[in-house]
Amino acid sequence: MLAFILRRVGSLVFVVWGVGFAAFFISQVVPADPAAAALGNNARPAQVAAYREKRGLDKPPWQQYLLYMRSLATGDLGRSLRTGRPILNDLRDFFPATFELTIAAMLFALALGIPAGILAAVKQDEPLDLGVRTLALVGGATPVYWLAILMLQLFHAKLGWLPGPGRLDAYLLAPPRVTGILTLDALLAGDWEVLGDALRHLLLPALVLGAFSTALVARMVRSAMLEVLSQDFVRTAKAKGLPDTKVVLKHALRNAALPVLTVLGSLLGALLTGAVLTETIFSWPGLGSYATASATALDFPAVMGVTLIAGLAYSVINLLVDVLYVVFDPRIAYA
Amino acid sequence: MRLKQIATLAVALVVALSLAIGSAQSARQTTLVIGGDWTDLLTIDPGVSYEFSGTVIIDNIYERLVKFDGADLSKVVPGLAESWEIAERDGGGTSITFHLKDAKFSTGRTVKSSDVVFSFERAIQIGGPSSFLFTDVAGMEIGSTVALDDKTVRLDLPASINPSIVLNLLTFNIGGVMDQAEVEPNFQDGDYGQAWLNDHSAGSGPYMLERWDRSAQVVLVANPEYATPGSITRVILRYMQEANAQRTALESGEIDIAYDYTPEAFQAAESNANLKTYKTDTFQMTYLGLNSGPGAPFEDNRVRDAVRYAVDQQAIIDSLLLGLGRRMQTIIPAGLMGADSTIYYERDVEKAKSLLAEAGATGLTVEFLIPTGACGGGIPCADLAAKVQADLAEAGITANIKQTVASELYTIYRAQQAQIVLAAWSPDYPDPDGNATPLSNYDASSIAWRNVWNNPEAGRLATEGATTIDPAVRAEIYGQLTRLVATEGPYDMLYQPYKPIVTSAKVEGFVRSAGGDVELDRISKLP
Repeated sequence: MLAFILRRVGSLVFVVWGVGFAAFFISQVVPADPAAAALGNNARPAQVAAYREKRGLDKPPWQQYLLYMRSLATGDLGRSLRTGRPILNDLRDFFPATFELTIAAMLFALALGIPAGILAAVKQDEPLDLGVRTLALVGGATPVYWLAILMLQLFHAKLGWLPGPGRLDAYLLAPPRVTGILTLDALLAGDWEVLGDALRHLLLPALVLGAFSTALVARMVRSAMLEVLSQDFVRTAKAKGLPDTKVVLKHALRNAALPVLTVLGSLLGALLTGAVLTETIFSWPGLGSYATASATALDFPAVMGVTLIAGLAYSVINLLVDVLYVVFDPRIAYA
Repeated sequence: MRLKQIATLAVALVVALSLAIGSAQSARQTTLVIGGDWTDLLTIDPGVSYEFSGTVIIDNIYERLVKFDGADLSKVVPGLAESWEIAERDGGGTSITFHLKDAKFSTGRTVKSSDVVFSFERAIQIGGPSSFLFTDVAGMEIGSTVALDDKTVRLDLPASINPSIVLNLLTFNIGGVMDQAEVEPNFQDGDYGQAWLNDHSAGSGPYMLERWDRSAQVVLVANPEYATPGSITRVILRYMQEANAQRTALESGEIDIAYDYTPEAFQAAESNANLKTYKTDTFQMTYLGLNSGPGAPFEDNRVRDAVRYAVDQQAIIDSLLLGLGRRMQTIIPAGLMGADSTIYYERDVEKAKSLLAEAGATGLTVEFLIPTGACGGGIPCADLAAKVQADLAEAGITANIKQTVASELYTIYRAQQAQIVLAAWSPDYPDPDGNATPLSNYDASSIAWRNVWNNPEAGRLATEGATTIDPAVRAEIYGQLTRLVATEGPYDMLYQPYKPIVTSAKVEGFVRSAGGDVELDRISKLP
């Protein structure tokens, strides 16, 4: 097991390097000048030249790449062309917001998707199953930006039940930053008012972001459960006189968890990197909006930073999923 | 997880949520919340900042020697300097001597002339995006700013520089004065304190920086040392990229001022009694750049004239901008000295056709370069371009739209490679020279150069206008120049947009100047 994990960590380095390499060379073939982007419309040619020289943009690509890799080896991701700050600082600022949103969306997907999937499987082909399947289809096919605007209009503008965009009411003071995850920081500071407000702000974007995942989870759970429920050991359990809920939740669900786990890993990765639209509409100061702003400003060091982080997150999550396999199913062994 | 645990968690969640409802009611009347798309905000350092968002914040934190009074940009009024005089220097050039008022930084220290010297020289040393205002436009260098005593500071200018232009540009962010004793110890790795100044402030203005949560909010609080504080003690600039989000937030009372409204939403707001609408001025001009170089499609001025006759300005303003813009056809916009509101070209498709025929350019096909996103006045560039394309087609010009991100567009435009480009221009400082030189002097390597339009007469007039001090003579020179460029230049000016801003009806005293200044301490909120 340990050897397996070590080997996976080793290949992880290669995956991340490959992602970074690709991102760097894509950035080189884009037919636009980062200096032009940074200095704007009115800049004088001399200013542009000075900017390029100062940032090393006048050097040939391979030389820029070597310089980049050299500083990367010391853990230095470089400085953002746009914000002028070390990229590590920028990522530290923006990653927690995205992480918080993603986890919340994931929790939604699990809390709604699993029960819905189980119910649909148990009541196969009954109206309830049909309802879940229809909802799952609609949820999976609804564009995020449309759903986001609709939800905001309904729950915020029309009904006034939930707050609008942002992470916190403007009149509330954010707690001291410890993790950058607002709900956690509020909890640590014991600030219940902020915690409640932050949770209320989290509700809509998480629901919107999680809609697709909820649908997917529900469908995965349903089909996995259907397969398990028709197996002999379930019939045996029922024959022993165990109550239905116990059979379903204990015997069947555990066995149905494995395929669900597989899809969860890649879902979480996709959510982490795919929150761009949700973040823009909900003014959520996360990695998605940072990546978009960086990309349109041709801020390549920042784009590289985001790419590396995303690649790393994706690889780590998949590694965790593989490890969890063993926990759920002792029959699986890694040589 | 067991069902029971899940149920417990759910109950806890509901309790936490309901606790927050009805909270956060305190301090609303002295807090002002402004929603806007502040993504262009890169720095809160006055020596470096060059963005509109920066101006809103920095001008309320850092006082400049001189400023404009509200939206009136016709003359400078005292800021940190209570008076100043301009004198000829022996051996050529001029000097401006400023006498400082009694003022204190938010740090508690008194503002001294050495702080002015420090702030100006620091900006020159950093060489940020706005530093050319000091070095190129004002001809300043290290040593140009001299502290005569604690309260008197002299600025020496070379003979080629017009001191009234310098006074105008000192109103901008880069003229902001900071506390040397506070900033200097925070220099890191030769950054002149840039990093520190993004999370702290050291100015003498009505507000000071409390925190800047990147992409979330900027919070300003009243400077306790400021002599004449306003009623707003706390200002929060919230990042809201979506105009729709700003609209719902303003209507629900979550924010007090919305900075980005679409023309449609603005029209709706005009009839809403709970809101106030402002068509604030800008110096921005949205224009078509026409490549006039040898062998380029618009080398012949008759072809450029054909474009000017073909495009329907009024229809753009009426149907796309819904009135949020005004017609203009010259290079100096309304609000600046030398502005020329003459309409030289009314739409005339037949005239455009015959001009094209005369020039032998019938069936002309060109590439039309346009940026992504919104153009002046908040309308999608793609919509504006489609309208221009349709107008040109009526006259017989086929314009094939090529849409790219702004940075790529600039790269092409800067290399003189655009044929027709949809672009915008704002002067770097509120003076006619901020437009005249870049838009008409080929040798300035700016916009006239990008469109390969080399007209020595225009260049001469621009230089003369820049160096003439007598306002009446200057106005006369700019009159000649604007006429020349309007009828022969490489542009088809489309419109001068307004910046639509909507506030709650409770907000009083909101004024935004065309340069982007908003004096936050003059704003108050009704209960």
